[in-house]
Amino acid sequence: METNLIVEGFKFMALGMGTVFLFLITLIVLMNIMSKVLHKFFPEPSAASLEPQTPNQKDNKKIIAAISAAISHHRQG
Amino acid sequence: MRFFLIKILALLLFSFGALHASPSEAAKGSTHKEETYQTKPLGEMITGFLASTGLNALINPDPNEKNAHGEDMSDFNKSWGRVIMVLITFLLFYLAIKKGYEPLILLPIAFGGLLANIPVAAIAGEHGFLGVIYNMGLANELFPIIIFMGVGAMTDFGPLLSNPKTALLGGAAQFGIFGTLVGAVALSQMGFVDFTLQQASAISIIGGADGPTSIFIATKLAPELLGAIAVASYSYMAMVPIIQPPIMKALTTDAERRIKMTTLRHVSRLEKLIFPIMVLVLAILVLPAATPLIGAFMFGNFLKESGVVERLNDTLQNALINIVTIFLGLGVGSKLASDQFLVPDTMFIMVLGVIAFSAGTAAGVIMAKIMNLFPGHKINPLIGSAGVSAVPMAARVSNKVGMEYDRTNMLLMHAMGPNVAGVIGSAVAAGVLISLFQ
Repeated sequence: METNLIVEGFKFMALGMGTVFLFLITLIVLMNIMSKVLHKFFPEPSAASLEPQTPNQKDNKKIIAAISAAISHHRQG
Repeated sequence: MRFFLIKILALLLFSFGALHASPSEAAKGSTHKEETYQTKPLGEMITGFLASTGLNALINPDPNEKNAHGEDMSDFNKSWGRVIMVLITFLLFYLAIKKGYEPLILLPIAFGGLLANIPVAAIAGEHGFLGVIYNMGLANELFPIIIFMGVGAMTDFGPLLSNPKTALLGGAAQFGIFGTLVGAVALSQMGFVDFTLQQASAISIIGGADGPTSIFIATKLAPELLGAIAVASYSYMAMVPIIQPPIMKALTTDAERRIKMTTLRHVSRLEKLIFPIMVLVLAILVLPAATPLIGAFMFGNFLKESGVVERLNDTLQNALINIVTIFLGLGVGSKLASDQFLVPDTMFIMVLGVIAFSAGTAAGVIMAKIMNLFPGHKINPLIGSAGVSAVPMAARVSNKVGMEYDRTNMLLMHAMGPNVAGVIGSAVAAGVLISLFQ
């Protein structure tokens, strides 16, 4: 009975570490597959991410124009 | 004197008569409490009051007082034990306030401990408010689960998704748990302590460096050790910046510490959204016993990544986790009663806890060195130590140690990968332990 305890401990360790690694290795494989699949079928809109910047810049120009107009108006007033 | 005796006799007679009279009066519907109260001379009132003070309860322990479980307590635990425990809670206050050791959880735990050691009031007893809190959310493992939801909502799996193989480091660091498990059963075999396999498992989970997981496992497998395990777990998590660097430096060469890692790729939103579901499905297939923890964790993360329930996400991250942390701390504190904490086991738990932490750190670093033997992008072994969960403290330590050797080497985001994998890893390890005892 006494000698069993340490053996039990090692059994726990083998099963525990085995499961943890099995789980994480499967997860790594799945993560890699997922990123490949997503890149193939749902490509990141890298071109699209550039597009919104142009209206943003336009907006910025509009805002800058509005602010400067307001400032000049304020100074005149 | 004789007059006094007669007076008492008369009083007794009167109260006897009143007792007999009371049913008929009750029938009349005019009971009032005054009848059960006996008038006493002032001197008697004062001695009676003095007998009910806490000071008296500490000096002359009440032989009939029971502990929170309704069992007998030793006189030591009712008197000096309580004084010692109060001093220990003061020490915890100092560590939390002055040293900044995880004050958010350590302060509620310590104050709960202070309240649990008050004589007479029995605050940690079944009907005391600490006891009510404990039964409400700790005895049924609810609070750690809710904390896990909040942690999930705070976690960003991006760094892990962009460099998946670092998950192995988070797996290796779980060696701290199982190595300590063997150590704990070896200690009981050698006759130093008498830990059952359940207790040894609950203690060793400290090596997972994950507070809620430790509490979850401890309440399930060894509730009698909960106080010591929780205190050890949170204090060592707070001491990560002290415990880890010497181990990390001892196991790595100067050249290894200067390894620069390739920049992380961008992770799409869709990937982050699918990831929690993927982990959960995997957990369902491999280890259903771990799904309470992993399920709650991934629920929080899914809400965050969905991006459409900002209000719920915000509540999980802030209001809910704060409320539950208060209750969790107080509930754990109720287990710091002297009769449960002042036992030799506590000392062994503290020692085994720090061994578990160190072993996990070492295993993570060594795993990184092993992975560098294989072709592919090199890994800086300093991020291996972040495989013990302790998010984000362990990752910050990796970053800090890396910066000591190369100011331009930013390891923080690289270390977050193993760090969050460590959370999953310790939840899986916890699931294995639970499934073994079912």
